[in-house]
Amino acid sequence: MTNIGKSVIRKEAEDKVTGRAKYTADYSSVGMLFGKTVISKHGHARINNIDVSEAEKVPGVRAIVAGERFPLTGEEIRDRPPIAVDKIRYHGEVTAIVVADSPSIAKKAATLIHVDYVPLPVVNSPREAVKKSAPLVHENVALYEKDEGVNPIPESNIANHTKIRKGNIKKGWDQSEVTVENNFSFPPSDHIAMETRSAIAEIKPNGDIHIKTSSQAPFMVKELLSAYFNIEVGKIIVDTPLVGGGYGGKASVQLEILAYLASKAVGGRVVKMMNEREEDLISSPCHMGLDATVKIGCTKEGILKAAELTYLVDSGAYSDKAIHLSRACAVDCTGPYRIDHIWCDSYAVYTNHPYPAPYRGFSHAEVHFVFERAMDILARKLRMDPLELRRKNAILPGDTSPTQVVLNRSTVGDVPQCIEKVKELSRWNEGQIIEVDKRYVRAKGIACVWKNSTIPPESSSGVVITFNEDGTLNLISGVVEIGTGTKTVLAQMVAEYFRMDTNDVYVRMNVDTQATPEHWKTVASRGTLMAGRAALAAAEDAINQIKDIASRVLKVRPDDLEVGNRRIFLREEPNRGLDFKEVVYGYTYPEGNAIGGQIIGRGNYILRNVTHLDPETGKGNPGPEWAVGAQVVEVEFDRRDYTYRILKAISVLDIGKVLNYKGALGQVTGAMCMGLGFGGRESFIFDQQGRVLNPQLRTYRPVQFGEQPEYIVEFVETPHIDAPFGARGAGEQGLLGMPAALGNSLSVAAGVELFHLPLIPESIWAEKEGRE
Amino acid sequence: MIPFDFEYYRPESISEAVQLFIELDQAGKNPVYFSGGTEIITLGRINVLYTNAVIDIKGIPECQVMDYHEGNLYLGSCCTLVDIEEKNLFPLLTATSKEVADHTARTKITLGGNICANLFYREAVLPFLLADSQVIIAGPNGYRTEYINQVFNQTLQLERGEFLVQLITEPDKIEAPSINIKRRRQWTTGYPLVTVAGLKLGEEIRVAISGLCPYPFRSQKMEYYINSQDFSQRDRIEKALGDVDGNVLNDTEGSDKYRLFILRNTMLDIVSTLEGERA
Repeated sequence: MTNIGKSVIRKEAEDKVTGRAKYTADYSSVGMLFGKTVISKHGHARINNIDVSEAEKVPGVRAIVAGERFPLTGEEIRDRPPIAVDKIRYHGEVTAIVVADSPSIAKKAATLIHVDYVPLPVVNSPREAVKKSAPLVHENVALYEKDEGVNPIPESNIANHTKIRKGNIKKGWDQSEVTVENNFSFPPSDHIAMETRSAIAEIKPNGDIHIKTSSQAPFMVKELLSAYFNIEVGKIIVDTPLVGGGYGGKASVQLEILAYLASKAVGGRVVKMMNEREEDLISSPCHMGLDATVKIGCTKEGILKAAELTYLVDSGAYSDKAIHLSRACAVDCTGPYRIDHIWCDSYAVYTNHPYPAPYRGFSHAEVHFVFERAMDILARKLRMDPLELRRKNAILPGDTSPTQVVLNRSTVGDVPQCIEKVKELSRWNEGQIIEVDKRYVRAKGIACVWKNSTIPPESSSGVVITFNEDGTLNLISGVVEIGTGTKTVLAQMVAEYFRMDTNDVYVRMNVDTQATPEHWKTVASRGTLMAGRAALAAAEDAINQIKDIASRVLKVRPDDLEVGNRRIFLREEPNRGLDFKEVVYGYTYPEGNAIGGQIIGRGNYILRNVTHLDPETGKGNPGPEWAVGAQVVEVEFDRRDYTYRILKAISVLDIGKVLNYKGALGQVTGAMCMGLGFGGRESFIFDQQGRVLNPQLRTYRPVQFGEQPEYIVEFVETPHIDAPFGARGAGEQGLLGMPAALGNSLSVAAGVELFHLPLIPESIWAEKEGRE
Repeated sequence: MIPFDFEYYRPESISEAVQLFIELDQAGKNPVYFSGGTEIITLGRINVLYTNAVIDIKGIPECQVMDYHEGNLYLGSCCTLVDIEEKNLFPLLTATSKEVADHTARTKITLGGNICANLFYREAVLPFLLADSQVIIAGPNGYRTEYINQVFNQTLQLERGEFLVQLITEPDKIEAPSINIKRRRQWTTGYPLVTVAGLKLGEEIRVAISGLCPYPFRSQKMEYYINSQDFSQRDRIEKALGDVDGNVLNDTEGSDKYRLFILRNTMLDIVSTLEGERA
C-alpha cells in the first residue's frame, strides 16, 4: 500500500486554516465563572499581608482564594504550594485567584488586591545557588514528601543529584593527551506556544470533577489531582480538545490545579482560567536554564577518551519536572560519540527563577549546546576539522551509551551517514569560513545530535478501533493532537495495516480520560512508537475478529483470508469474500440468523526492557531507541558590527522510516526554527532582584517570519525494528543541534569562543571587545 | 483584555472633537484622543494607561489627508503607517515607518499616534524633524501652525485638549537624498537599539536619532560637528558622539556602551552614504 511515507494532509487541517478549530478557551457555557490570578512582582519575598478588601467590593466577584494552606504539589518532590503562602519564590508566582462573573471583572478585581511583600535575598543563578553562602530557596527541602530515588541534599539548594560513572575516569584522563575544560551557561526562557494555557474546572454535586484543559498530559492531570488532593481517581474526568502547541510546556500540571481550587471556592461552579501571555511566560512553567562545566579529553589522533561533566539545571523555585530534566541531562550527557570513560554529575538546583516544564528535546538541546561547543574547542586545539573529529568518534553499533547500554543498528541509527550527508549538503569542503569582503565572512558550524526518551518504564499507550456501518474505521487514541499531526499518522498506519485508504479511517481528536484509552503523555516523540504499536495491535485484533467471522461464512481457514479495500477475501481467490460492512456489525445469513456482533479492536503497548538507573553509576536502559542526526548552520557575520544573518540551517536526521514526508519536514523545520530562536535570541532577562524584565512578546521575541534561514532537511532511514514501520521519534530532533551549530559557526566567524546563550550581537561584541 | 470600561466617541469634525474633550474633561473623565488604538489596548491591558473616555479622531476628514497642496505635502495624523508606505509620498518617511512594529500593527498604527506615543521611540517623527516640517495643531483655542522643531521636545508639546491634525512638508526636503537605518538587538524585529535617519540638503547633512535615549531627538550640535569640513569623517563622527548627552539607554534591548558602539558605526554608514552622493 501507499499510505506510509505519503504526505497525507492532517485531518484537522481544514478546521485549523479556517479558524474553526476549537481550543480549550473557546468553550463557554451558561453560568460559567472566570478565574484570574494575581502574580508576584518580586523574585523572592516574604508575604506580610494580602489585602483583598477592595477587590471583594467589586460587583460580580464571587470568591477570592488567597493565603490558604493547600496540600503541597510537585511531581517528584512535593515542594510547591499551588497558591503561595508565607513567601513567594519567583517573579510570577501565583499569590491569589479572583473568581468573578466575567473575565474583565476578575481582572479588574485582581488589580485591586494588594500584597505587602518583604523582599528577601535572591538566588539568581544555579552557580550562585550551590555556593555555601547562598540563601536557601526552600528552608526544609529534606522534609518534603518525595518519590523514591529522589535525593535532595538537606540545607542546600540541591533538589537532586544524578550520577553517571562509566569506565574509569582516571584511566580516561591518563589516556588523554589533549584536553579542554570550559564553563557554559544560559538563562531560562520559554516555549511560546501560540495558544496560552487554559483550564476549565467544575465539581459536580456527586463529587465528579470535570476538567477541560490545554494539556499534553490529560491522564497525568487526573492522576496528580487525585494524588495531591486525595480524590478518588475515577471521579476526575479530563477532556482535552486540540492543543495549540505544547513543546513540553503543557506537560506540566499547573493551571488545572488552580482551576480546580477556584471551582471549589465557588461551590463547584464552572470556572475558566486562561493565561494572558505574561502569565504564560513567567507564571506557568518555563524552559530551564543551565550552568555547565565540560571537560573532555582525547588522544593526539582525536579519539575521545574521557568526559567529565557537571550540569547545574536551573530548576527555578520548584522542582516539579526539573528533577526529571536533570536526570535526562545525565542520560545523554555527551554527544553521540563513543567515550569509554564518563563521569557526570547532574544537579537540579533551586533558584528564585520561574520553574521549568519540559521543553522540546527534553534537556538534549541544552546538553548538546555545551558538549558540542566543547567538541569544537577541542578540535581547534587539535587543529583538526571539527566535522572530522565527530566522524572519528561517531557512536556505532557495539559501542555503549553513557548509561552503558550496548547499542545495535536498530537502537542507535547511523550517525556516520548523517555526518557524511550533511558534509555534502553544506559543502563543508569549501571551508568552514569564507571571506566575503573585508567586513563580512560566511562561516559554518556543525553539531551532532541524539536523543532517547527517559520516560518511566511503565508508561503505556492504548488504542481502540471501532467500525462504522459502511466498513470505515474510527480510531480512538489518548494521544493529544498538539499540532504534530500524530493522529493523522496513526490513521495512516492503521490504513496501511488494513490496506485501505487513510480517508476511510476517522480519528477522534478530543481526548476524554473516561472514554479514551490512556496514552501516558503526548511528549518525548513517543506518539508514533507507543500509540503506533497500540494502533497496530488494535488493528490486528480487529482483523482477527473479522477473519474469525468471515472464515465461518466462507467456510475457509481464517489464515487463508486477507483484508484490503474494506473487504475480507480469500488470498487465492480475491473475488470470493465479504465487504467489511457485511461483517463489522455481525454477519446476517439469508435466513436471518446473525453471528458476530460489532467489532471492537483493542491494542496496547508498553515499553520493553526499560529500567531505572543505578543510583551510583547511572547504569540502565533509559528508553527504546536513539534518533540521531547531524546539523549545520551557516551564517553571514559582520566583523565590524558583530551582527549576523543565518543563511542556511541544514539537518540530516536518522528518524527511521519517514511516515508522512511533509509532516516530518514540518516537524523538523519547525523544531529547527525554535532551536535557532532559543540559540539566537530568546531568554528571560533578569534584574538583580530576580525579576524578569521582558515578560512580554514586545521584548521577548521568538523567530518571526522573514528572519528564518533557508532550511534544508534530509532524512536517513535506518529502521528501528521495534517501531511501527521502523520509525524513530521525529518531533524534537530538529531542534537539538541548532544552538550548538549556531554557536560553533559564530565562534569561527568572530574568532572568539562563545560560551553563553542567547547568541546576540552584543554578547559577541562583549566577548570580543572584552578580550582585545 | 482591558480591565476597565471607557466611553467611546467618534466625532466627525475638529470642533466637535475639541468640544467633546472639553466636556469630558470637565466631567472628570480624563479623556484621551484615540487614533489607531494600539497603545490603548496594549498599555491599557497591563494597567499602564487608564482613561474613562476616548475620542476617536479617525472620522475627521482633515486627519486623513494625504496630498500636495500649494506645492507642500500634507499628511493627516490618522493616516496609518501602511497607508504612508503604500502611497510613498515621502520616501524617508516610508523608510522609517516600514521598520516600526510589524505589518499587521502598522495597518492600525497611525502617523500621529506614533509621533505622540507613550512608547518613547516615536520613530515616525524623525523625518519631520529633519525636514523642518510644520505641524497643524487643533485645540480649545483654535488652530495653530508651528515648526515641528519648535514644538517637539522629546514629545510633541501639546496643551491640554490639543491634538495633532496634519504635518506639512516642503518638496525640496522630500526630494533630498535620505537614509534611515534601524539597528536592533537581534535580526529584523524588535525595538531599536538605535534608529538614525539622515537627510542631505545641499551640502548639509542632518541626522535625527531614536532609541539611543528615552526620546527621539535631532541635535544641531551633532550636525555642526558632522558638517565641519576640516576633519576626517571618522573624527567628525567622534566629535558628534561626544555631544551625546548622558541619557543613553541601558535596558533589555542593549547596554549603553553597546548602543554607543552601534551608533558610531551607524553614523558612519549614514554619513558616508549621504556624502557618497556628492561624488
